[in-house]
Amino acid sequence: MTPKEKNNFTGITAKARWILPLTLWVVLSCFSYPFLLKVEERSFFEFDMAWFIEFLDKPSGLLSWLSLFFIQFFHIPWLGALIWILLLTAAAELTRIMFRIPQSCSALAYIPAAILVTYNMSLGYMIYYVNLPGFFLLPTLGYLWVLLTVAVFRKVSNTATVIILSAVWGIAGYYIAGFYGLIGVLTAAVDTAVSQRSRTFRLSALISVIAVTLLSPILFVETTAYYLPSGWTVGLPDYMIRVSLTRIQAPVIAAMLLLVSAPLIQLPKLSFVNKTPSYVQGILLIAIVSLSYTWWYKDPNYMAELKMIHAADNLEWEEAINTFRDISEKSEKDKSWQPTRIMVVLKDLALIKTGQEGDQAFAFDDGCKQQNTICGVSMSMQIGWIMGLHYGIPGLCQRWCYEENMLFGWSNVSYRYNIMTAMVFGNRELTEKYLNKLDHTLFYRKWSREQRALLNDRELLARTAPYDQILPLLCYDDIVTSDLAGLEMFLNRHFNGPSPMESTPLYDRIALLFAMKSKNSTMFWTRFFLYLESNNPKKIDRYYQEAAYLYANNGQKDLLDAFPIDDRVKDTYKSFMQYASKYGKLSLEDARNCFPKHLRETFFYYYYYVNELILF
Amino acid sequence: MRKLFFCFTAIIILFTGCTREPSDAPLSGRQAVIYPDFTDITIPSNIAPVNFRIQDTADKYITVFESGDTKTVIRGRDVLIPLRKWRAITSRGNIKVTVFEKHENGWIRMNPFPITVAEDIDSYLTYRLIMPSFQTFDRLTINQRNITNFKEKTIYANTMSSRDDGSQCINCHSFRNWSTETMQFHIRQYLGGTILYRNGKLAKLNLKTDSTIAAAVYPSWHPTHEYIAYSTNKTFQNIHTNHTDRMEAFDQESDLILFNMKDNSVSVIENDSTELECHPYWTPDGKTLFYVSAHIGNPTPFQAKGGAATGNASVKYSLYSKSFDPDSRTWGKSKMFFDAAALDSSITWPRVSPDGRWLICCINTHGVFPPYQSETELIMFDLEKGTHRYVDEINSDKSESYHSWSSNGHWLVFSTRREDGVYTRPYLTHLNDDGSITKPFPLPQKDPDFSVNFMYSFNIPEFSKDPIRVSARKLSSFINSTEAESVPYVSKRGK
Repeated sequence: MTPKEKNNFTGITAKARWILPLTLWVVLSCFSYPFLLKVEERSFFEFDMAWFIEFLDKPSGLLSWLSLFFIQFFHIPWLGALIWILLLTAAAELTRIMFRIPQSCSALAYIPAAILVTYNMSLGYMIYYVNLPGFFLLPTLGYLWVLLTVAVFRKVSNTATVIILSAVWGIAGYYIAGFYGLIGVLTAAVDTAVSQRSRTFRLSALISVIAVTLLSPILFVETTAYYLPSGWTVGLPDYMIRVSLTRIQAPVIAAMLLLVSAPLIQLPKLSFVNKTPSYVQGILLIAIVSLSYTWWYKDPNYMAELKMIHAADNLEWEEAINTFRDISEKSEKDKSWQPTRIMVVLKDLALIKTGQEGDQAFAFDDGCKQQNTICGVSMSMQIGWIMGLHYGIPGLCQRWCYEENMLFGWSNVSYRYNIMTAMVFGNRELTEKYLNKLDHTLFYRKWSREQRALLNDRELLARTAPYDQILPLLCYDDIVTSDLAGLEMFLNRHFNGPSPMESTPLYDRIALLFAMKSKNSTMFWTRFFLYLESNNPKKIDRYYQEAAYLYANNGQKDLLDAFPIDDRVKDTYKSFMQYASKYGKLSLEDARNCFPKHLRETFFYYYYYVNELILF
Repeated sequence: MRKLFFCFTAIIILFTGCTREPSDAPLSGRQAVIYPDFTDITIPSNIAPVNFRIQDTADKYITVFESGDTKTVIRGRDVLIPLRKWRAITSRGNIKVTVFEKHENGWIRMNPFPITVAEDIDSYLTYRLIMPSFQTFDRLTINQRNITNFKEKTIYANTMSSRDDGSQCINCHSFRNWSTETMQFHIRQYLGGTILYRNGKLAKLNLKTDSTIAAAVYPSWHPTHEYIAYSTNKTFQNIHTNHTDRMEAFDQESDLILFNMKDNSVSVIENDSTELECHPYWTPDGKTLFYVSAHIGNPTPFQAKGGAATGNASVKYSLYSKSFDPDSRTWGKSKMFFDAAALDSSITWPRVSPDGRWLICCINTHGVFPPYQSETELIMFDLEKGTHRYVDEINSDKSESYHSWSSNGHWLVFSTRREDGVYTRPYLTHLNDDGSITKPFPLPQKDPDFSVNFMYSFNIPEFSKDPIRVSARKLSSFINSTEAESVPYVSKRGK
């Protein structure tokens, strides 16, 4: 190898060592932040000793706890991403150092880290089914635990110590890191067997390690009431879904197998390694990055959903509308694009919350695009609590929070919605119970303090967001019902049901919109006049005018002069009907191609062409 | 040596100085606020320490427990009483508890409160732990707590059976005559069946027959013979949209059945299609079965159409009794015992005391599932005098529901949501010979804040004299490997 070539190797790996993590950090922080926020919202970490001790009950509990500790920093996505990347970089660098990977192929050290990144970033909708606390960083921390185990075992040089260490470290490691603890001792055993000269030593190490590996899980399984499909796999990603776990766990298992086999490969002893041309190293790096990125889950609707849900969680209604608008505009050229129902209902909610529904509700493309996933996630599981709370159905909000808790454990988002529901109900003790938990968190204690201030002042509560727009919606009589896991249909039924005896202006506005959405003319007229009476608008909003004009023309012609209709509405109706008579009945996709944008943004278009939507 | 002596003396002074009560402190004129509220209660002599936290804000705290002629002093805001000391305290009889608080102006003595020490209680309490939920049930355990200390163990967890193929609900654990020699509980859905532990053997039974409407649900072991009376129910649950009560459960159909363990058969006790019969419970002599029933007519007044349930508020249960000859297995006629429906109320879950004198039930406005209704209260009947009264010493503004007698009939455990309206907690109370009941108190926990932090509800607290004899692992392996055995239906009088 010439000095020039040597410099090239060093140059590429040295640059890669900071360019790759930096790039990843930028991508995660700028483009994947909604996903990172979702990871954080669906987890929970509190600084509490009793809570910590709960984790020690189960193998890999301590690693789970540590993982949750780090995950809480995803609340600030760039910070969380930075921590994760530092852990990954540490994993890659330690792999390189510990297994003496030559400079000429040091890119190989990045493969396990890339697999770990790929595993997380390819989750997509699976994140709604993960049933493992700290799942996101657990494999990364597990990987580091394995490296630590190997390092500790390398310090041992006599037979007695290795037997004792195997027993102590093996059992402790299993309790701390579960599956990764076992992989740790296994890797250490392979490493010892390869590197130690004494046959007795190698044999002792192997026997004791195998004994520990076999005994720890059996011991655990036999002495506790936890269910483990297999004591050996505790700590591996677990999903509450009926698909093959092996497929989902494969990337993590692959990363671990690489580690176990690393001591066997003995790269420095391979002659061709040192002769590898520098461009191979470059190609390898590009291949690793490209392959990893290829497997990332990048569905734009999914990202838009995450952004909109996050915006709704934080009462950033304009942000939710803008997200929907952005993706609609970007997808203008792609005529097959449709939003998912979650996007549509969140957009509608945001419009209501900002008082824009009368002028904007039908200004966006509608649709019911299927989620791009092998495992459909029900709308209720994703946004049941948001809809329940903000549409003034606290029982529904509570239902989905509790279902979520039962299935996946408590999360930050669940605590927040449970608190808001308890506040709406005026249940002081329950609110306090949940607030106490958030008091012990790093990023929600401020919010908790703010809520506690409202708890003691019902009048202030009624003036403060989001309660100022929730309490007026509780004007209806309670009913005992079931959403049958169909959220949209439940909301339709709720707002198209009997009118409350003393409805409020906000309730009437929402009920009117739902009457329009359900295309029920009788219900529309009922709601329309209630809306006029309670809201007494100076000017009737555009879409209410359009609906009234359409329904009046379709049968209630005597009502055409009952209220003012803008000339613009009349002209648009005329223009729309000309197009409609030209094209006749069309599918939603064809109609999107045929009608100009200004006509697609009308209630007329919604009434005649937005059909066959699959509601959830 | 001299140095050592001084050090030793200093340590002695330090410790004795810190644990000595400030006996000359002036009386404050009020009681310390403590959590949980263990003031003025009657406790069993063998109960676990009543650890509590002093809620008042002060610089320092000392709590003195006086019983007999001895005093035990505990320092600190969290009053955590070591078990051995607690045993010594309770062994000397009634206790006077005095809290001292140090404020800016020095120590003050809070008004002392008494704790009366009464008869022993059964040492074990078994309950199901469940997070509040509606339809999902993925984290359920049946646990047994040794209530003479803080040890708790899981009897069975539903997560012990494979989740990928389906989840299972576990419920209705029950013992015969407070002995764990016999035990039963149900598993619903995945690997479902009624698990029966008897004579050291496990059995898994399918008590749904062609002639009965569903599997067995609420059990009552016959005290002297080999029978279990069950209700069999088709139950639905719905949510409230805008009410502090989260949900409502109601039966669309329900009957009573008798499982005869001797010949392994099921027969019908009551199956009137215009009645919803439920919650059977034997009297201690086994010659009378109490149960509740709601007359619903035909068709039923409630429907669950399009998700919304209507008419369920009109379903009101009354209390009935039915005589039974256990030897010949013959039934007498059903008699109305308490016409709750006529009072626009609904009565459920009858439980007769072991001496046969007292009968306690839940009462509310409608329905068969009282924990979900905050207005549910306990009502007590004196079966000797034929009188009844609401148990105001126990009832709160939240639901009081599932209750169970101790074997000596002096202790009652009942479920209540008084703390926050959502999480059910077991409370204990003492029944005096004259039928008066003492102030209830929560099951003592090691951590005074336990109840605040614990996110599970306690369901179906049931006393037993001894620990459960079968391990969770054995139960799990049996449940996973055994098919439920079908049980034949026989007519009331036999095959």
